[in-house]
Amino acid sequence: MSLVHINIFLAFTVSLVGLLMYRSHLMSSLLCLEGMMLSLFVMATMTVLNTHFTLASMMPIILLVFAACEAALGLSLLVMVSNTYGVDHVQNLNLLQC
Amino acid sequence: MFSSLMLVSLLVLTLPIMSSIFNTHKNSTFPHHVKNTISYAFITSLIPTMMFIHSGQETIISNWHWMTMQTLKLSLSFKLDYFSMIFVPVALFVTWSIMEFSLWYMHSDPYITRFFKYLLTFLITMMILVTANNLFQLFIGWEGVGIMSFLLIGWWYGRTDANTAALQAILYNRIGDIGFIMAMAWFLFNTNTWDLQQIFMLDPNLTNLPLLGLLLAATGKSAQFGLHPWLPSAMEGPTPVSALLHSSTMVVAGVFLLIRFHPLMENNKTIQSLTLCLGAITTLFTAICALTQNDIKKIIAFSTSSQLGLMIVTIGINQPYLAFLHICTHAFFKAMLFMCSGSIIHSLNDEQDIRKMGGLFNAMPFTTTSLIIGSLALTGMPFLTGFYSKDLIIETANTSYTNAWALLMTLIATSLTAVYSTRIIFFALLGQPRFLPLTLINENNPFLINSIKRLLIGSIFAGFFISNNIYPTTVPEMTMPTYMKLTALAVTILGFTLALELSLMTHNLKLEHSTSVFKFSNLLGYYPTIMHRLPPLANLSMSQKSASLLLDSIWLENILPKSISQFQMKTSILISTQKGQIKLYFLSFLITLTLSMLLFNLHE
Repeated sequence: MSLVHINIFLAFTVSLVGLLMYRSHLMSSLLCLEGMMLSLFVMATMTVLNTHFTLASMMPIILLVFAACEAALGLSLLVMVSNTYGVDHVQNLNLLQC
Repeated sequence: MFSSLMLVSLLVLTLPIMSSIFNTHKNSTFPHHVKNTISYAFITSLIPTMMFIHSGQETIISNWHWMTMQTLKLSLSFKLDYFSMIFVPVALFVTWSIMEFSLWYMHSDPYITRFFKYLLTFLITMMILVTANNLFQLFIGWEGVGIMSFLLIGWWYGRTDANTAALQAILYNRIGDIGFIMAMAWFLFNTNTWDLQQIFMLDPNLTNLPLLGLLLAATGKSAQFGLHPWLPSAMEGPTPVSALLHSSTMVVAGVFLLIRFHPLMENNKTIQSLTLCLGAITTLFTAICALTQNDIKKIIAFSTSSQLGLMIVTIGINQPYLAFLHICTHAFFKAMLFMCSGSIIHSLNDEQDIRKMGGLFNAMPFTTTSLIIGSLALTGMPFLTGFYSKDLIIETANTSYTNAWALLMTLIATSLTAVYSTRIIFFALLGQPRFLPLTLINENNPFLINSIKRLLIGSIFAGFFISNNIYPTTVPEMTMPTYMKLTALAVTILGFTLALELSLMTHNLKLEHSTSVFKFSNLLGYYPTIMHRLPPLANLSMSQKSASLLLDSIWLENILPKSISQFQMKTSILISTQKGQIKLYFLSFLITLTLSMLLFNLHE
């Protein structure tokens, strides 16, 4: 596999590990989610451009749209937590109250 | 020639109205003018009637072509057939007597000229209704009598009850008018005309819908069960109004409509059964309600309603001519009963409660005589007026292939007629006086005496006179067992004796706590109590809710957003067993992923 591919895979894997293992702030998890999305986007765009698969050039853009929506959702959850507790420390999410 | 005489007679009626429009002089002889006009119209209309009886020839006068809408031609046409030729003199005679009576009754009213003008307008619209040959003209007359009824019931408009009663009359009549308009629309669609001749000639097959509409119209106008509360409430009007409108003429308009359509009704068994059952329910229910009323005019109003139910029953057993005969004979004695009650009311200084009357047998002999004769005619005493129509109806109902339950109801209602008539006589006339001693009881006015005298002679002889002079239409039942022939008489005598015995026995007893049957009868079967409160409240609140709350708060807020959030919250509380150790859960993701990648060599 070429170096570029390994580079992007590595970026994706680092973001994934960062998403699943974080210390206390929920915000860092969301940031890593964005990193994953970014690496996926770059990977998809490069593949489409290299293989001249023009018909699939919609795919990265749609991916971007959906990522924006999920980022908004994640941020709204963050805001809800922050409204209740003041900081977004994960150890606060232990009551599961609605 | 008799067609032009009939037109003259009808035209003569409109003269006083036109004179008061042009001259606008409200002098004191206008009421006398009106009374004389009606007597002239009556005499003029007798001639065509006698010619009709002699020759049996019906006439249709079609005068003025009003308009043509594509294929529908509307013109002013008068149908002078059996029904209208006999009804017009009867109605004019009764109205003449009532006009003379109201000269005495409304003597001290400052707007007596307006009163007579209203009564005359009512009479004209009633004549339009009766002589109409097409449904449009009939509808003009129909609405006209409704409007005049409203104006006359609310004559003393300062009284709240009178205004409520007038409004009630209009509302109930309107519901009936919906049926009338539906019938008119059906006839326009299916027979392309509003003329009665063409409808009967075409003889359409499936006539359920228009006949149902006409039945609804008759229910509204003739106060059958379901649309009946307006008639007792209409007693808020002056007594001449009650005598004219709500006993002789307006309330028979519904029955008259059904009689006009008898060629269509005799082919439709379903509608006949419906009519029969409706009439039977009405006659029994209103007779039960009449038993415990305390207002003399209300008892007579319920009596009218019961007799109207009897007329509808007669139509239901396919005897329109008998129903018509009963209309004509009923007009005489019912108007007279109302006039006698008016005489009693005025003499006792506007006292209408029968519990405060008594002992008038000696104080008002003439009124007593006419009241008793009127009651006897009402209950069908042999060879008085009511006998010729009522007894025939009961006989025909007994010997026809009809609904036994309806027949039983009618027989019970006949005996109840005798019961409440006895009650009126007992409380108002017999016994010791229960009113204040210093009332001036006077019945010496010639207007009063003459008008009641005319109707008295009519109540005694009119039945004999009319039934011997009309040509035979349907064959009456000739042979029947003796017990069947005597049924009506037997139940009436039973009612009389029962009522007299009970009244004499309980006359000096204290009234205990009312039983539930008494309350049912006194409060008119709870029908007004329920129907005047519950459905309007439900309708108005439903419409308010749907108009203001439906779109905004339900569709935009509640259906999707709030319901989803509620649902999610409830189910998540219900099914979650977690403790919120998020970092541990994420770590388990990672371990699973790594393990799967290492074990299965996915990238190879």
